[in-house]
Amino acid sequence: MMTTTTTRRSFNRGLAFAAGALALPGVVRAADKTVKLAMIAPLSGPWARQGQLLKMGADLAMEDINGAGGIKSLGGAKIEIIYADAGDTTEKAKNAAQRLVSDHPDLVGGFGAWLSSFTLAVTEVTERASIPWLTLSYSDLITDRGFKFVFQTSPTAAQQAAETLPTALKLAESTTGKRPKTIGLIMDNTAAPVAFAKPLKAGGLDKLGLKLTVDQIFTPPLSDATPLVEKVRSARPDFLLLLTSAMPDCKLVLEKLDEFKLAHGKIPLVSNGAPFGSPELLKTVGADLLDGLLFSVANWPMKGQEAFIDRFKKKTGEPFLTQDGLCGYGHPAILAAGLEAAGAADKVKVAEAIRKMNLTTGPAAACFPGPIKFDDKGRRIDVPIIFAQWQKGVPVTVFPTDLALAKPVWPSLS
Amino acid sequence: MPFSLVDFLQALAAGILVGSAYALMCIGLGIIFGSMRVINFAQGDFLMLGMYAAFYLTTGWGILAFLGPYAGPIAAAFLAGPAVFAVGWLAHRLLVSRVTGFGVAHSEGAGAYGQILVTLGLSLILQNGGLIVFGSTPTGIRTPLSRSSWEIGEVLLNQARCVSFLVAVLCAAAVYAFLGHTRLGKGLRAAADNSQAAIYMGIDVDRAHRLAWSLGVGITAVAGGLVAASQSFQPYVGFDFVIVMYAGVVLGGLGSILGAFWGGLLIGIVQQMSTLVFPYQLQNTAIFVVFLLIIFLRPQGLFGRLSERT
Amino acid sequence: MRTVAETRRQRWAIAAFAAAVLLLTLVLNSAYYQLVLTQVLLWAMLSLAWNILCGYGGYFSFGHAVFWGLGAYTVALGMIDLDLPPWLTIPLGGLVGAAAGAVIGFPTFRLRGHYFALAMLAYPLAILYVFQWLGYQELTLPMKRDAAVLFMQFGDPRVYVVLALGLLVVALLVSLKVENSRFGMALTAIKQNEPAAEAAGIDTWRWKMLALMLSGALAGMAGGLYAVVLLVLTPDTVFGMLVSAQALILALFGGIGSLWGPVIGAFVLVPLAEGLNAELGNVLPGIQGVVYGVAIIAIILLAPEGVYWRVLDRLQRRRPAPPPLPTAAAAPVAALPRRAAAGGSDLLSLRGIGISFGGLRALDGIDLAVPEGGLYGIIGPNGAGKTTLFNAINGFLAPDSGSVEFAGRNITGLRPNRICRLGIGRTFQVVRAFPRMSLLENVMVGALVGAPDDAAARRMALAALDRVGLAGRAAAAAGGLTTRELRLMELARALAPQPRLVLLDETLAGLGHDDLDGILAVIRQVRDDGTTVLIIEHTMQAMVHLVDHFTVLDHGRLIAAGKPDEVVRDPRVVEAYLGKRWLDHVALSAQ
Repeated sequence: MMTTTTTRRSFNRGLAFAAGALALPGVVRAADKTVKLAMIAPLSGPWARQGQLLKMGADLAMEDINGAGGIKSLGGAKIEIIYADAGDTTEKAKNAAQRLVSDHPDLVGGFGAWLSSFTLAVTEVTERASIPWLTLSYSDLITDRGFKFVFQTSPTAAQQAAETLPTALKLAESTTGKRPKTIGLIMDNTAAPVAFAKPLKAGGLDKLGLKLTVDQIFTPPLSDATPLVEKVRSARPDFLLLLTSAMPDCKLVLEKLDEFKLAHGKIPLVSNGAPFGSPELLKTVGADLLDGLLFSVANWPMKGQEAFIDRFKKKTGEPFLTQDGLCGYGHPAILAAGLEAAGAADKVKVAEAIRKMNLTTGPAAACFPGPIKFDDKGRRIDVPIIFAQWQKGVPVTVFPTDLALAKPVWPSLS
Repeated sequence: MPFSLVDFLQALAAGILVGSAYALMCIGLGIIFGSMRVINFAQGDFLMLGMYAAFYLTTGWGILAFLGPYAGPIAAAFLAGPAVFAVGWLAHRLLVSRVTGFGVAHSEGAGAYGQILVTLGLSLILQNGGLIVFGSTPTGIRTPLSRSSWEIGEVLLNQARCVSFLVAVLCAAAVYAFLGHTRLGKGLRAAADNSQAAIYMGIDVDRAHRLAWSLGVGITAVAGGLVAASQSFQPYVGFDFVIVMYAGVVLGGLGSILGAFWGGLLIGIVQQMSTLVFPYQLQNTAIFVVFLLIIFLRPQGLFGRLSERT
Repeated sequence: MRTVAETRRQRWAIAAFAAAVLLLTLVLNSAYYQLVLTQVLLWAMLSLAWNILCGYGGYFSFGHAVFWGLGAYTVALGMIDLDLPPWLTIPLGGLVGAAAGAVIGFPTFRLRGHYFALAMLAYPLAILYVFQWLGYQELTLPMKRDAAVLFMQFGDPRVYVVLALGLLVVALLVSLKVENSRFGMALTAIKQNEPAAEAAGIDTWRWKMLALMLSGALAGMAGGLYAVVLLVLTPDTVFGMLVSAQALILALFGGIGSLWGPVIGAFVLVPLAEGLNAELGNVLPGIQGVVYGVAIIAIILLAPEGVYWRVLDRLQRRRPAPPPLPTAAAAPVAALPRRAAAGGSDLLSLRGIGISFGGLRALDGIDLAVPEGGLYGIIGPNGAGKTTLFNAINGFLAPDSGSVEFAGRNITGLRPNRICRLGIGRTFQVVRAFPRMSLLENVMVGALVGAPDDAAARRMALAALDRVGLAGRAAAAAGGLTTRELRLMELARALAPQPRLVLLDETLAGLGHDDLDGILAVIRQVRDDGTTVLIIEHTMQAMVHLVDHFTVLDHGRLIAAGKPDEVVRDPRVVEAYLGKRWLDHVALSAQ
């Protein structure tokens, strides 16, 4: 019969095809194969806490992804995250990256290294090895180098700056009816605050009709905040923009503001960066002093993540979820999504898949505000800036409204 | 940019208050440097131990919770001293004494090298051991003292820092009295001045050095306990203070307790008042500039002696 | 100082080392190992640079990061702002390092010991804040895809190993040259006893500056290549304390003051630290630091001067002692021409010398005349001002008033090394010898100033040893010398350049009876050979039998002068030494 012959022929052809496909290199076959991802973050040294938070998120992600059946387009292959300690110097971070790349030539992607200078050093290695790399660092230098394999999931500091103040001003106006006219700025001179402040000082403030009456930059670590806050006391700006990237410095400034009777809404506080929402800040400074502090971040627990937040808190014992834990979870999720789309444990293909990505649903998209979409520099497109505010001892997302878990409050000027 | 009188006074006050903690730290280092001529790279890490000791006594394990949030941190700072004294005693007995002291002073070169590496190694062990034991989360003592102040006119004096000032002055006076008027103290000074002669006088130089070492790290630890009430810290915090301590000791003059006190105080004043005229970012550079100026113009420091054997 | 044969052997050793590293880099397949090897070589170079100043010269620096960092930023900013290739900017970084050394050396070399080390500590940390303030928090070297070779951006990490090796070999050859030259000898002398070196005619300031500049240049170049390898610079990475500490640790561990010590330190410690990070970093964070700390403590307790010296000592103990140098083989010691005392004019004359220290008048109106060819003593109780007087003659102190004339020439205020060249030698109270160098080598330091070359210096040193009667011990290691022999060695060093006048500072102090007689005989012989001797002591007994002429100092003033037996009976002298009570005894016994 014609049909039988055709069927047999096509069946044979199909078999040959399958055999050929199975023989292709780089294709994962059995369901017990693993795909390797890397995480580089400081696990020892002064920034160990942040690395450990990232790891907590990543462990959870690995558990979830593998528990849900692994990467389906690769036949249910499980992901394995290999952790490396970036230590306390750029040299150690670079060595960790090179070691990972050399020891595991089958790495298909990675994320880290929290500190922007570490991230810069690590990505110099991963770029040359064509490994797609995700980072939560805010520094715009990371994606300004013309690299093709680096993806910055946080909006750059400059991008965040462009939205932080307008949103804060709008909130102030809608609450008090008056638009603030003067602003004070206290910042440290690390990369992210400097990048945040640059566009503001280069005309951004003028455009918003704000006069800079306090402009203080210090080199961390801060020894004492008295001279800084003294300036605030004499200038009395309508609100204060705090850009301190280390928790100990946040504490010094906040407590000094309290001491000088400028806290608790006297001078509204707007900040940027995850350290302002850390549990350790709560522990050392106390909920009453933090109440009302508004800060913008790249990523913060949002509406729709309630179940996940609870799970994280129960599993890790952390009082609440922060940017580090969230990104630690989200980055492997994005890489997993990339693997799914690529259909092959091939790093170049995965990078390609990430470049083409436009995720609005799924575990990866659920971790970040806005769609997972990158431009040709590796920066996110169409990302709303998240604002969180301390309310009753918990930093909750208040903007954008559709992602908020609470309503924002502008501390009244008294 | 001209600054107002209030700015000036406020910065001066801050400098004195912050400087008092530095002063106490410097006394600790000064005792070691002055008695043993050892540059102790681990001094900042003993400071860190003092901070953690004070922390665990109050906010951490709540041992002194019954004293309340005001007296608790003060008592904790005092108790941090003996705790770290004990650690220092052990460290000297097991390690440091092998590369310092009378027996080693003769093999001039070998001893000097050993001191540096042993204290560097000790520093590494304390920092990283601290990470393992205490964890990486920055922490601090919770006390309302750190955010309240007393007012003199328009100048605000932070209460925690004021308390630290009083305790520092008290401790400094106690140390001064100890070294000047007790037999043990005089023995220490003799051993420092001329260990060979001291031995002939029947002073156990090795023991004197151990006492000096332990006392030195213990006093610095008390300063740490005081600072812990104002600042938060993690196991690698020692780094930040080492320079301040050495600058203060050299500024004040080797071998002088009074000098170490004033040196530390002056460093604090320079650090805070430099912000009146220089960019805030160069606060610590100002310290170094003053440090270098003193070293060049008056190497014996403010109170030190000119003699330094060839 | 090595012989020509030894130097050649060391050059071959350097070549063999380079070949071994090249072989290693060919064999190692992983880019990671190549990276670590590159870092080993760069850190070894920094440590070698440190060793030149601190190991050879004895001036401990806790701040070599300043040169490393300046070199690194020269390369980075050169590439980012001016588009200059590292082939140009790495040597430029070396020049910047040398310039920094000069600028830093000027003020800082006025300090010694701990003060110097701490001052050096301040420089890189001060600069660190300045760089952050200037806006250089994070610099990345841009990727130059289309001019990769020009900008030292190679795909194969082996190339970096070769580049680093090249620089290290340069550093090794420079160190070797320093070790074998007058430069090295001068540094050794400075390390041993700087005032003595200065008094022996060595221009200590010049050599120290040179050492610091050379050290800075090498460290700067290493830092420049480091920037190329690391690609990301922050002020903390290159100016931080860890960098300075690393330079120190590697040298101290491997063997300070040796050619191979820093290299050994780098090859052991850098991979060890990296290995600990790799294996233990994410297992129990922090444990790698603890293990590393324990390791360096353990080694320093077992080998206090470093691995190299420990091993060398062990090996040398097994080898038979080298044969004693033939004493007469040197040119026969020509009898020094007896310079007849020029009638009327003195060899050394002091007029109205006065020196004050703050409120203390250390010397007041001292007049002294020392004719040529005699043995003169200056005596006085402790604190009388004897050593101060010597320091004034010798150039270590400039008198507030008065003048010093030597051989008809005003030498007031001249630097000690200059005065030595004019013909005054001096011994010091605290005698320090290099235990590992031979007696002859220790003495050669003194001969360098007058000798046209090292062979001549050797001859002069031998002759000096002969004069003091130690020629037979010339090859003995100085570490095993007795007190008497050390004093004689010190004397020989002062005599090596054949001075016309030699100042002996408490040469007899603390010697036992037998030793004393021996040394007295030597001193007399020195005078008999034609050298004028001026000796200070505080014990009457020995001096009375030794000198021709006495001067007595008390509280900075001359209280008596004359022949020994006159002076001892002078009531003022008795009062000064023994107190008023004995005056009566003397008066009684004189009757």
